[in-house]
Amino acid sequence: MSSDPETTRIVRSWLDEGVTELPDRVLDAVLDQVPATAQRRVTWWPARRLSTMNTTLKVGLAAVLVAVAALIGINYLGTSNVGGPGVDSSTPTPEPTPVTTPAPTPVGLLPEGPHLLTDGEALDGMPTLPMTVTIPAPDWYGEPGDGILVKNDVSDAPDGAGMIVFFGDLYVYGDPCDWATTRPEAPASTVDELVAALTAQASRDATEPVDVTVDGYAGKSITLHVPDDAVFNECDSDTFGSWGVPGDDVTPFRYHQDPGQIDKLWIVDVDGMVAVIDTAYYEGTPQSAVDELEAIVDSTTFGE
Amino acid sequence: MDTDLVTRAQRGDEEAFASLAVAAGDRFHAVAHRILRDVDLAEDATQQALLSIWRDLPQLRDPARFDAWSYRLLVRACYAQGRRERHWTPHLRLLPSQEPMQADGSGTVIDRDQLERGFRRLSIDHRAVVVLHHYLDWPLDRVADALGIPAGTARSRLHHAMRGLRAALDADARPPAREVAQ
Repeated sequence: MSSDPETTRIVRSWLDEGVTELPDRVLDAVLDQVPATAQRRVTWWPARRLSTMNTTLKVGLAAVLVAVAALIGINYLGTSNVGGPGVDSSTPTPEPTPVTTPAPTPVGLLPEGPHLLTDGEALDGMPTLPMTVTIPAPDWYGEPGDGILVKNDVSDAPDGAGMIVFFGDLYVYGDPCDWATTRPEAPASTVDELVAALTAQASRDATEPVDVTVDGYAGKSITLHVPDDAVFNECDSDTFGSWGVPGDDVTPFRYHQDPGQIDKLWIVDVDGMVAVIDTAYYEGTPQSAVDELEAIVDSTTFGE
Repeated sequence: MDTDLVTRAQRGDEEAFASLAVAAGDRFHAVAHRILRDVDLAEDATQQALLSIWRDLPQLRDPARFDAWSYRLLVRACYAQGRRERHWTPHLRLLPSQEPMQADGSGTVIDRDQLERGFRRLSIDHRAVVVLHHYLDWPLDRVADALGIPAGTARSRLHHAMRGLRAALDADARPPAREVAQ
């Protein structure tokens, strides 16, 4: 009978056998597809933002700033340069002096007021229309032209809130969990087609569509739900996805963050192009954030 | 791993991504091959994983975590290819074999056959833990991090997998058998 160490040795030896090089043709095939493969937009804001640094990192960075300031004998740091020139260790070291630095403005934190949500440049390989909204309250995050807003930098359950916009034709999956095999042959390209496809989508418990206008453009509003008991890692590619875009049949471009997510959609026809404004939140999202989402939609203007 | 390359690729720099793909390609393919035990499936999984990385890179919060994150996508791609394998693998049955046994237990042909058979009985979940831990030599905490599972689960999967492989090796002690396609 094999002992554990012996089994480990044999398994390791066995695993060392076999191919180790990727054929060039495979790599070439990947790189050939890259230009035609759209990158997915983020639905949260990345770690480059200082607000997402953890406390330890902030304290560590502050300590480095203080030490550098003390060593080079300056009392003010306009911008940090942690990797700056070295210091001659023979130079007498002055006593560290506390340095007050202004609190950084988190990247992506939006001021209240007008915000260019989309700028007419393509997103996800799809055309957009210029779309401006008014940020009605503090703590909304986004980047100009990216088509996404997130309250408090959190779009996850239990209390996140955010919105994402899409323009043009969308492939609404028959089943958001089995999206890979339920992508339709043809996209939905009108308000009615989109509403019909979303209403029929499995497991979403869609509400009755109601007539709405956004910036004077007519359309429908509908609310969809991600089931509370949805198990995303049992779905295709661990993703619960509502729709994809033309030109990429292997990626849900509206994928959901967590079970229980509620999507209230405004789908309007803007001079022949369909705009989908997807506001997303949870049962646990503060009503104030939901109200702010509605206010943002109400403030929408399309065009330059 | 160069975080600057990752950051540039996140912003859509195709040349930066090409550099990442070249750097990761061989290792990805080697890992995929060891998980899937099939060169063609491994090539497909590697290709799928690299494209998923390109597509999803903007969602990677911390560029320094590129390695762990990218291996998670690779293992997902292996799951997808593994499902294909289940559709294509013919039914197998065991027949008695007249092959001589080798008794030294040190990577013999018999060992490899038994290991191959035992390994193929494992789920992709279990194979991934074995390969990342015993081939890449990653500690279990890192394996768990890459696969997005608790460390205890990784430990449990490794234990289960190694027990299965040990049982496969111990089958040497019983009348030998040979696997043939029906």
